[in-house]
Amino acid sequence: MPSWNIIQAVNDALRVEMRRDPRVVVLGEDVGKFGGVFRATLGLIEEFGADRVIDTPLAEAGIVGAAIGMAMYGLRPVPEIQFSDFIYPAFDQIVNELAKLRYRSGGQYSAPVVIRTPAGGGIKGGHYHSQSPEALFIHTPGLQVIYPSNPYDAKGLLLSAIRSDDPVIFMEPKRVYRAAKGDVPEGDYTIPIGEARVVREGRGMTVIAWGAMLHEAEQAVGQLPELDAELIDLRTLWPLDIEAVVGSVSKTGRCAIVQEAPRTCGFAAEIAALVQERCFPRLEAPIARITGWDTPFPYALENDYLPLAPRILHKLRELKDYEA
Amino acid sequence: MAELTYREAVAAGIAQEMERDERVVFLGEDVAAAGGVFKTTVGLLEKFGPCRVRDTPISEQAIVGAAMGAAMTGLRPIAEIMFSDFFGVSWDMIANEIAKARYMCAGQLALPLVIRTANGSGSRFGAQHSQSVENWVMAVPGLKVVAPSNPADVKGLLAAAVRDPDPVIFFEHKGLYATKGEVPDGEHVDRLGTAKVLRQGSDVTIVALAAMVPRALQAAQRLEKEGISATVVDLRSLVPLDTKTLLVETKKTGRLYTVEENPRLCGWGAEIASIVAEEAFYDLDGPIVRITTPHVPLPAADELEDNTVPTVERIVETVRRTAG
Repeated sequence: MPSWNIIQAVNDALRVEMRRDPRVVVLGEDVGKFGGVFRATLGLIEEFGADRVIDTPLAEAGIVGAAIGMAMYGLRPVPEIQFSDFIYPAFDQIVNELAKLRYRSGGQYSAPVVIRTPAGGGIKGGHYHSQSPEALFIHTPGLQVIYPSNPYDAKGLLLSAIRSDDPVIFMEPKRVYRAAKGDVPEGDYTIPIGEARVVREGRGMTVIAWGAMLHEAEQAVGQLPELDAELIDLRTLWPLDIEAVVGSVSKTGRCAIVQEAPRTCGFAAEIAALVQERCFPRLEAPIARITGWDTPFPYALENDYLPLAPRILHKLRELKDYEA
Repeated sequence: MAELTYREAVAAGIAQEMERDERVVFLGEDVAAAGGVFKTTVGLLEKFGPCRVRDTPISEQAIVGAAMGAAMTGLRPIAEIMFSDFFGVSWDMIANEIAKARYMCAGQLALPLVIRTANGSGSRFGAQHSQSVENWVMAVPGLKVVAPSNPADVKGLLAAAVRDPDPVIFFEHKGLYATKGEVPDGEHVDRLGTAKVLRQGSDVTIVALAAMVPRALQAAQRLEKEGISATVVDLRSLVPLDTKTLLVETKKTGRLYTVEENPRLCGWGAEIASIVAEEAFYDLDGPIVRITTPHVPLPAADELEDNTVPTVERIVETVRRTAG
């Protein structure tokens, strides 16, 4: 089994699915001749040609709009938005058109579009190239949102996403794009959308994370075994694997959620609200949200903005010592 | 005190500020000659002339972008986006430019602008003209967010928004435009970031925003007859959020309900639930309950729309079922 990073795993998933299904097309800025700004689509144009791997102008609304049209007429487009920050020029197409198409047509049309987009901080990209806008898409009815943390999940979930009959926002954690390596099976395999993974079992507390922050959380809980933390990688944010979350917190009585997006109205707020609804009598301490700050994403202070392992560890200690 | 409609209060608020400060200008689609598609700006063109009250093309990006430039160079623009759903089309300008301008230039520039918009359901306008999108902007650091429930607050909070040194997003509720209320005579200026306790009770605390406020009040009256005494808090402002009032009023009753018109996931109710569950952990007698629109696009059909958005009946029933 080859050991790959997330970029190689994404590239392989696209290749596997394009070989299997002639309806799959890739489009975006620099995805063809250049092979993608992060190299995720390297070699695809050579194998599948310019009809299926399409270089587009710098026009995100155009990229997503074209993909919606393709999907309505039977293709399986996988557009790339080069940075998730640039998904905003296409915001109207996504939240007002793509997400609502099945509903508005009474089920006569669906839009099986997978929007791949590198997300999050970690490359000193400043505030236009570092944001993590998953909450806005979770908030929008009609979208599935996937945010894997490692190559194996990235490939298996991307294959599931392309085969889904409804739209998916597929966020790729660029902080660990190359750093997260692991064994990835060759050929075809899928990971079901909506299933979390227990990374580490424990009885002392539940720690929930996704994307690049999963690695920071893993490092934090590994440093202090007496936390006896159960670490959950959500992998799919929506639909949320609520059973996994509630099952774990019911067992541990303590819960921390790590998110790199700003705090207010982030997905951690939704999880905290759900957990207090479902686990109220079992909670032994307030739910801890460990998040980015409510400021634009900073360039110089990136490592103070992101909830990295030291900050997570500090908060988990507090959570452990909290006496009800 | 004069009795004004909610829509008349909008024009009164704008006129008050335009008379006071010649830097205040107003622009948007059909706001001048037509007096606004909801007739909220009737008479302003005649009073202040076409230099200060401008009809624009149907181009939300240009409206918001022009307002941004005007604010940067010394004016105090009020921009109107006809339906809040159309924020999608200018989302990049709002979330990536306006919200960050002060931060990006380290405070060398401020953006004292107001974006007014008609928000919310009840008019049978379907999935693309009925949304409550206050959470889109609440999730973006750098924007203040206001959503008044009555004419006096419209005028007072609009004046406060215009005088604020930073960008304020001002949500008017379409379903409230025809409602009437007393508005103080003369200059009326309120304070951003302050919730209002409309009714003091002893058993439960209900927090609502905009069109959900009158429904929460009606629900409280009905609950009173059943022996459940409810406090009702009108949130008025989402950013800054009046957490002090929320915590004080929750601690008095031990039971908190939020009534939201927006989609449930990652809504302001989730944020408030997360804050209160953390900071009032010992004072809660039961889980915080969110009463929201379900996670679907808003339907156009009368019956469906009425059953999607929280009703007085649903508030009463939810509180009755859970407050025991």
